[in-house]
Amino acid sequence: MTQHLSEADVRGIAEYTRIGLTAEEVVAMTADLNAIIDSLAPITEFDLDGVEPTFHPIGDLSNVMRDDTVRGSFAQAVALENAPKQENGSFLIPSILGEGGDR
Amino acid sequence: MATPFGSMSVRELQAGLAAKEFSAAEVARGTFERIEAADGVVHSFLETTEKLALDAASRIDGAIAEGRLAEMGPLAGVPVGYKDNLNLTGTHTTCASNMLRDYVSPYTATCVERTLRAGALPIGKLNMDEFAFGGSTETSAFGPTRNPWDTERVPGGSSGGSAAAVAAGLVPVSLGSDTGGSIRQPGSFCGLVGVKPTYGVVSRYGVVAFGSSLDQVGPFARSVEDAALTLNALAGRDELDCTSQPSDVDFTANLAEGVRGMRIGIVPAFLEAAGLAPEVKAKAQEAALALEKMGAELVEVELPHAQAAMSAYYVLGPCEAFSNLARFDSVRYGYCDPGHKDLGSQYEASRARGFGPEARRRIMLGSYLLSAGVYDRYYYPAQQVRTLITRDYAAAYESVDCILTPVAPRTAFKLGEIGDPTEMYLGDMFTISINIAGNGGMSVPVGLGADTGLPVGVQLIAPPFKDANMFRAAAALETVYGPAPVAPDYADGKVGA
Repeated sequence: MTQHLSEADVRGIAEYTRIGLTAEEVVAMTADLNAIIDSLAPITEFDLDGVEPTFHPIGDLSNVMRDDTVRGSFAQAVALENAPKQENGSFLIPSILGEGGDR
Repeated sequence: MATPFGSMSVRELQAGLAAKEFSAAEVARGTFERIEAADGVVHSFLETTEKLALDAASRIDGAIAEGRLAEMGPLAGVPVGYKDNLNLTGTHTTCASNMLRDYVSPYTATCVERTLRAGALPIGKLNMDEFAFGGSTETSAFGPTRNPWDTERVPGGSSGGSAAAVAAGLVPVSLGSDTGGSIRQPGSFCGLVGVKPTYGVVSRYGVVAFGSSLDQVGPFARSVEDAALTLNALAGRDELDCTSQPSDVDFTANLAEGVRGMRIGIVPAFLEAAGLAPEVKAKAQEAALALEKMGAELVEVELPHAQAAMSAYYVLGPCEAFSNLARFDSVRYGYCDPGHKDLGSQYEASRARGFGPEARRRIMLGSYLLSAGVYDRYYYPAQQVRTLITRDYAAAYESVDCILTPVAPRTAFKLGEIGDPTEMYLGDMFTISINIAGNGGMSVPVGLGADTGLPVGVQLIAPPFKDANMFRAAAALETVYGPAPVAPDYADGKVGA
């Protein structure tokens, strides 16, 4: 198996994707990802010179604006219904500046 | 014992309602009693929605009392179950993930709404692989679903709950979603009709996104007609999904036409594929010959780039999933790990504990594949390969009206039998290229495999927006093999072995 990713690489990806992995999980994830990436090799083996990519099965999409008329949408209370923490009609998060504190 | 309502066809249910043999309220209550009695081991439902169903039933019964049943829609009084990635106001929509364990939908997906407008009785939400990542329903955070044909075996996935509920005769119709085979493969494993329409036939609004350029919702049913009636209700333009397309097709219109004069494509390389079980190959050949005997012309076609579809999919799917699953931030909704003093550690702990192993793998894989330098090696070529695969199909459709292939390389496997993710991915080898190209495809039951005695399906694939072609061929196969039976241990009201 080719080593596409080192454990350090995987720790970097975990940080970027905001998934906190334990040291053992990093080891297992590194092995899993390397095996999966190995299985993707066929994609690198085609002669694709001059082939346009297809990013979407429905090719000729363009943004369509609806009429500029006011319509109903979620009330604030509904938008907050699923928030794990809320306060005064807002989503509540730990402090992001300086010394924080979980309230 | 009376036939359970969930074992009836749509026509039988509506005939019984029209003749006042039973009321819609009795259908609803009987369906919940049956689920209570028979779903324990199978574990297809994650939540049942008694109040919503009884409310819908009372509207149907009111209409019947006034002689207006025919006005109530093509699914009037029909119990329908929904994969748990489809939002329905007031129900949990968990995607079988701890991330969404407590999430309650504040809105309803268009596909669900359309079944309700067609008169369906909403019965509940169905188990699945977590976020639809998987082919066995074993990655559900709430425990696996079991195959009613053999409860030691998986129902397939990711829409395994949707398939198992119909195979066990709990409901006649359910909705699933299919990103790489997640309707067709469980359809095959559970011996059902399972339809992945052409991308754009059904609105994706309110469907929790996995691979946005690949996802499509479709029905499971035990007959081609029930699937067609359901797709009639689902199909069409929705201004809330700009990729949805207008539809004026009646998918039931040509079911009785037969296949005389139809050209059915056969892909020799698929039938010689490594890993294809002999019993599955034999069934595909038998079904092709049955179509020929009924007057279809079999035409060999080549799909030279289909072999690259697997790797293209396992590039594109994780990339799109990585992007879509970035929204789970532990702030607006979803699991929030308690006690963190800074937002970063709250994010990391919430996403680590909220997502299961396969979801974490796909998110991290997608992130890697989209990173600078790597993008040019995998993601961009995968989109180029998508062009080649789409061209292959377009070329094939110049000489055929639809294509017949196996669905999955083998019949249902045992729980725990496949642990290696890359081996699990191989189960999608015949279904994935259809999502890549955006075509319609459906699984049609063709009896039991000679070696395992388990259900086998064949896949019919239609050109984009010509889904009616595959329904026509499927209906012809149904005249040979019959509609899908309820799994034997659950037939005639039985509640398992």
